[in-house]
Amino acid sequence: MKLTINEVAQCLRLSISTVERWIRQGRIPIQKTDTGYLFNESTLEKWAAMYKLPFSLPDKFEKKFKEKKSENLLPAMKRGGLLYNIKGENVEAVLKDAVENIYFLPVSFKEELYRRLLEREHLTSTGIGKGVAIPHPPDPLQGTLSNALISTCFLEKPIDFNAVDGKPVFVMFILLSPSTKTHLHLLSRLSFCIRDDAFVEFLKTSPDSAAFFLNIADFENRLIKGEGY
Amino acid sequence: MRILKSWRYPGNWPFFRFDDRLLLILMAAIVGNFSGLASVALNRGLLLMSEWLHHFRHYWWVFVLPAIGAALSSLFLEKIVKEGAGHGVPEVIYSVSRYGGLLRFRSSFSRLISSCLTIGSGGSAGPEAPVVISGAAIGSNIAKYFSLNDRQRVTLVGCGAAGAISSIFNAPIAGMVFAIEVIVGEWKSVNIVPIAIASVAGTEISRILQGNQIPFRHHLFKIDLLNIFACLGLAVLAAAAVILLTRMLRSMHTVSHKVSAPVWIRAAIGGCAVGVIGLFLPVVLGDGYHSVEILIEGEYGQILTVVALASFAKIAATALTLGWGGSGGIFAPCLVIGSLVGVTYHHLLALFMPSISWVNEGYFALLGMAGLISGMLQAPLTGIFLIIEITGGWEVILPLIMVSAVTTTLCRYFEPASYYLKDLVEHGHLLRPGTDARVLSDLTVPELIERDCITVNQNMLLRDFIAIIKKSHRNYFPVADEKTGDFLGIIHLDDIRPHLFNPVMYDAVFLGQIMNTQVETVHPDDDLLDVLRTMDMKSLFSMPVVLNNKFLGLISKATILDQYRKELMVQTSHQE
Repeated sequence: MKLTINEVAQCLRLSISTVERWIRQGRIPIQKTDTGYLFNESTLEKWAAMYKLPFSLPDKFEKKFKEKKSENLLPAMKRGGLLYNIKGENVEAVLKDAVENIYFLPVSFKEELYRRLLEREHLTSTGIGKGVAIPHPPDPLQGTLSNALISTCFLEKPIDFNAVDGKPVFVMFILLSPSTKTHLHLLSRLSFCIRDDAFVEFLKTSPDSAAFFLNIADFENRLIKGEGY
Repeated sequence: MRILKSWRYPGNWPFFRFDDRLLLILMAAIVGNFSGLASVALNRGLLLMSEWLHHFRHYWWVFVLPAIGAALSSLFLEKIVKEGAGHGVPEVIYSVSRYGGLLRFRSSFSRLISSCLTIGSGGSAGPEAPVVISGAAIGSNIAKYFSLNDRQRVTLVGCGAAGAISSIFNAPIAGMVFAIEVIVGEWKSVNIVPIAIASVAGTEISRILQGNQIPFRHHLFKIDLLNIFACLGLAVLAAAAVILLTRMLRSMHTVSHKVSAPVWIRAAIGGCAVGVIGLFLPVVLGDGYHSVEILIEGEYGQILTVVALASFAKIAATALTLGWGGSGGIFAPCLVIGSLVGVTYHHLLALFMPSISWVNEGYFALLGMAGLISGMLQAPLTGIFLIIEITGGWEVILPLIMVSAVTTTLCRYFEPASYYLKDLVEHGHLLRPGTDARVLSDLTVPELIERDCITVNQNMLLRDFIAIIKKSHRNYFPVADEKTGDFLGIIHLDDIRPHLFNPVMYDAVFLGQIMNTQVETVHPDDDLLDVLRTMDMKSLFSMPVVLNNKFLGLISKATILDQYRKELMVQTSHQE
C-alpha cells in the first residue's frame, strides 16, 4: 500500500506541518521533489523504531464504522428474539429458564452466562422499575459475541425482582454486548423506551414480534430525530 | 533530460536518499576547497594592500590611513552590500541555530572585501572571522544550490568555517575543532566526518597555493616543572586581558552608537584613533602576524613598560577598530595581545624572581596566545589546537592545556558567555541542538493546534448547549458571534457544572451569560516559549488560538508535551 504524506503524518500521530518541517530540516527520511515526496515505507518504519516513535497505520476509522453498525436497538432485539411464558418463582429460576430458552446460544456458554447474570444480580438488582428488568453480565462478553443482542423475555407471571421501586417484574431484556460502549449505548436507548408509560402498558400485553418491532422502530426514529437524546 | 535535471538534487538519488553520509563528504570536499580559496584570496589581498600602502608609511599623515580604510569598508558594507558591520561569526551561529544555516550569497565575499580594506589600511583586526563567514556562506549556498535539507546545510556551513580556518592558519585540526566547538555546537559523527574532510580540503588548497609552512616558527623550549607552574600566573593575566578586551569592545560599541554621525564617519573616527596610536606603537597596526612572529622568537627586545603599554594599546586599538564600525575578526588581535601579555608576564617574573633562570620569553608569548584565544572564544580546545598547529610547539602541550583550561574557567566567572555568543545569549537566540530552547523554537503553534472543538454562539440556550456537550469529547467550547463569527470567549465545562443538573436553568440561561470573556489568547505566530510562560503564570492548561478575531483551535499542555517529547527524541536520541 502506498502512503500519502498525510497518511504518514497520521501514522506518526503528528500534524502535517510538523512532518513538512521535519522534511525541510532533514530529520525524517523523506525527500521533497518538485512533484511531491519521495520515501520508502519500510525505511520510515525502521526510522520510527530507531527514534522510538509510534508508527502504525490509522485503523480508528474502520473500528468506528464497525461500532456504528451495531449501535441500533432494533437489530440487536431482532437477533435476540422474543421469548414468551418464561417460568419461575424467583430470580434464579426465571433467569435459568430464559437462558435455557435462548435457542441459538451454544450449550457450553449457557452455563457460564447464567452464572454471570446471577453474579450481576447479586451486586444489585437489574430491575429498573415499572416492572422491567434488564439482566446483563457484569462485564462485556469479549470474544464470544461479535454483535450485541437483546432477548426480550415475557414472564409467565410477575415475580419479585428486588426492583428499585419494589414492583414485581413481568418483562426482562437480557442484554449481551461485545463492548462496554455498545452496552451503555443500548442501555441508554432501552431506558428511553421504558420511560414511556404507554410502551410499558403495551409490553404488559405480551405483544407478538411484528407489533413489538414496529413499536421499537418507532422509538428509534424518534431517537434519530433527536427527541430527548 | 531527467539526468540533467536530477543532478541538482543529489539528495534524491536513490544511493543517497536514506544515508547521506557519502553525499555530505563529497559536498564537504567541494565546500572546503571553495572556502580555502576564499581565505587564500583574502590573504593575497592583504599582502597586496600592505605592499601598496608601504610607500606611504613615512608620511606624517599616515595616521589617517586606517580612518580611510575603515570608512571605505563601512561604506561598502552599508551602501553596496547592505550588511551589518562586525565580524559576522554571531550571525553564522544565529543562522545555524534558527534558520538551518541559511546565509545570503553576498556574505560569501562582502566581508572579505570590507575586512581587506580595514586591516590592509592598518586597522587592528583579524582576517579570520571574515573568512569564516565567507566559508560558511559558501557552504550554505552550495547546500541551497543542491537543495539539501537544513541538517545537511548546517553541516556544510560548519564545513565552510572549518575549511576557512584550516586554510588561513594551515591548521586542519584547529579548523575542525573551531567549526564543531563554536559554530555547530554538536559533537556528532554526522558533523565531524564531513567537517574533517572540509578541513583537509581547505588546508590542501592553501598548501598548494601558498606552500606548506608553519606560520609562527619558534625555537625549541626546554621546560622544567617550575615553568609549567609559572604558567598559572599567566592564565590569570590572560583572563584579565580577555575581560578587559571584551568589556572595552562593548563599551566602545555603546559609545560609538551615541555619536550621531553616519556609520562611515564613526568608523573613520575609530580608524583615526588607531592610526594615532600606531604612530607611537606600530605593533598595534593591522593583523599583527609579523609582530607575533617576532614575539614568539623572543626577539621583541623592549623593556617591561613598553611591552605592558603595547598590550593595553593593542586592546584599545582593537576595541577602537571593531567597536567603531571597522570590519574584521578577533582572532589575530587575540594572538597579538596574547603574545604581548605573555612577554609582559615574562618580564614581571624576571623582575620579581631574578634568581631563577626562566625559559625564553617566546614560551610565555605562545602560552599567552592560547590563553587569549581560549578565553575570548570560551573554546579551550580551539585554543589548544590552534596554537599547537600554528607554532608547531608540541613540546609545550602540557602548559598550553593548563593555560587554556584555567583561562577559560576564569573568564567564565566574569563573562558567562563568550564574545561571539554574548549578544545571542542576551537576546535568547543561542539555540544549540537538543536544548529546551531549541525544541521550543522549532515547534510552532500551528503544529500543536487542536481543531476538534465545537464552536457555539452567544445566543444559544443552555439546553441546546447540553445537547452539544453530549456529542463532544472536549471540555472547552469557544463562543463565536452569531453574525460575524468573531471570537467572543470560551466556556469550560466547569463553568456550567453548577447548572448542569438544574433543568430550570436550561431555558433561562444564554451562553453569552456564562462564557469567559477575559481569556488569554494565542496568535499562530507566537513563540511557544511565551505561550508556555503565560500558561504557567496564569496556571492554564489550554489556550484558544485566535487570528484576526477568528477562533482557530485550542493549544493545550498535554499536546505540547506529546509533541515536545517526539521533537526531543528526533533531535537527540540515537544519532550515530
